[in-house]
Amino acid sequence: MRPEGAPEASEPGDTVTVPAPPDMATWHRLHPLSPLVRTGRHFVSVGILILVLIFANHGGSNNDFITDFVVIGIALIAGVVSWLVTRWQVSDGVLRIETGLIRRDSRRFPLWQVQAIDVVQTGLARVLGLAELRLRMAGGDASGGRLACLRLAQAEQLRERLLAMAHAPGLAPAGAPGAASPASPASPASPASAASPASGASAGVAAPGPERLLFRVRSQRLAGAIILSRTGAYAAVVIAGVGLIAGLSGAPGAAAYLLPIVVAMVLTVWRQFNGEFATSVWIAPDGLRLRSGLVQTAAETIRPGRVQAVRLVEPLLWRAFGWCRLEVDVAGSRQRRENRSEGQRLRALIPVGSRADAEQMLAELVTSAPRPTLGAPAAARWKAPLTYHFLGWNGDDRYVVASRGRICRKTTWVPLEKVQSIRWVQGPVQRRLELASIRLDVAGRRVTASIQDRGAAEAQQILARLPDQARAARELNRA
Amino acid sequence: MSVVDPGPAAAPGDAGIRWQRPSGLLLRARRIQAVLVTVPVALAGGLIAGLVGSLPLGLGIGLGLVVVGLLWERFLTRRVAAWGYAERGEDLMVRRGVLIRRLSVIPYGRMQFIDVTAGPVERSLGLATLRMHTAAAASDARIPGLDQAVAAKLRDQLAALGETQAAGL
Repeated sequence: MRPEGAPEASEPGDTVTVPAPPDMATWHRLHPLSPLVRTGRHFVSVGILILVLIFANHGGSNNDFITDFVVIGIALIAGVVSWLVTRWQVSDGVLRIETGLIRRDSRRFPLWQVQAIDVVQTGLARVLGLAELRLRMAGGDASGGRLACLRLAQAEQLRERLLAMAHAPGLAPAGAPGAASPASPASPASPASAASPASGASAGVAAPGPERLLFRVRSQRLAGAIILSRTGAYAAVVIAGVGLIAGLSGAPGAAAYLLPIVVAMVLTVWRQFNGEFATSVWIAPDGLRLRSGLVQTAAETIRPGRVQAVRLVEPLLWRAFGWCRLEVDVAGSRQRRENRSEGQRLRALIPVGSRADAEQMLAELVTSAPRPTLGAPAAARWKAPLTYHFLGWNGDDRYVVASRGRICRKTTWVPLEKVQSIRWVQGPVQRRLELASIRLDVAGRRVTASIQDRGAAEAQQILARLPDQARAARELNRA
Repeated sequence: MSVVDPGPAAAPGDAGIRWQRPSGLLLRARRIQAVLVTVPVALAGGLIAGLVGSLPLGLGIGLGLVVVGLLWERFLTRRVAAWGYAERGEDLMVRRGVLIRRLSVIPYGRMQFIDVTAGPVERSLGLATLRMHTAAAASDARIPGLDQAVAAKLRDQLAALGETQAAGL
């Protein structure tokens, strides 16, 4: 049998009309080279370790290498076994992944609940022409499914199809997140799907629709921006410190012990650069498409209507150059281990760009972007002297915007239809100054639009008004 | 309950909202919990200080910890009194806190699931804590010290409301 997808799976022609082609409904295996790619990470780390050891004690302990190779060997064998027992299938709008030799693990991913689908290629996978498919669901933990690895063409195509099926109506329960969205004002999927329930939807989406470029990051600017960012500053301080220690102690060997720290810092900077290099954002009928990466490339699709919040970040040093960063929050975290540092941050649509870039992108994401023009009352100056100058909020019947920050200005837009809960908070100092804050929570654990330090009466008004506005926005969205 | 309502009456949007309160037994539950913590801590602190230092020192520290426990108890009264919840047409409001006062509005349609939990102390008094979860990790809405029957009723009621008004992410 052919372990990987049947050959016709990569034929783009026959995919358009049928929502679940018969070749997807059967069980498939992953690509036979996947164990190699999955173990690849160990090769890299062992390589670095060997270099460090050679540098430190001139190729001393060979036993360590042997242990490492044994570890790699075991990992490879485990990978092969895992490949042997892993299979996937798409049927009835559900992706099923079965894996596990001793403890069988069968997971079902209902496609109408998918938040986003990524195609990720690590360096080794790129050499071999493979790619990994990641499904992001709304759960905050590592609940996403992954198919590692498929052939690149197959992965791309599978993503198209899965997204198309995710749009197909009838599968989704009533009131499920719909097509109307701030992310793509023109969503051709919905009229088409209304006309002919099954085939129309997938035809509207599976067609490799016209893409429009919204933004592409400039490499030099990205490098400069990372150097001027907090990450860059930390790395510079650490490397300078290690250099100083090495220079003062007069023994370069002493610095070898600090080498791992330097390597870690360099890796952090590198990871950010690699992850954000050549970021380009395209708008397509099936959502926003993000492509980025230097060695490890990732292609992501954010489905329309799944953007929970938009945030504009303007650090102090960047403001001098007129740079800013635009991030979006999508429910469900980026769960992979190598992305942990990245997982803390939001997905950057614009890693660094000019204000004009940001404005343009904002206009695409937020249909009517209100500006945080309503400043905080004077009393807030006493409670928040350092953030007072950036405090502000505004809102219309679809969005609320709030800004804050000490030296780094952060402006957050939240669609009212995405608001999960509203909180009114008043601390002891605020009570004395007759202030209060309103927080709008959206799905995910990172973003809260905080309307900070408003006058008590104004906060009361906001609290009385927002729940109704949010409900109206939800109903508008559902209609 | 004879406790004076300290501040929350001044909380926003109070006009026309009928706040419901947790069971009066909540204060007793909290007091029992306070005693359960204070007594062992005071004993242990006093013993250690008495063994390491001198007898008066041990007594002093033990008594000091008991006094801290008593102050805590005074604060508890106000904290318990601050809890309240109101069922409105489309959302549930929960208020709490004395020093930092909070008031959460959770639309029924946003509830992902509802927990009813009861610790040993709560259980012995026939109480339970109701906790509502939304897709946002930050929204924290819980109502402690409900009568178990009330909690079960409220849970079913909220679940039913959540089902009819459910909204996607």
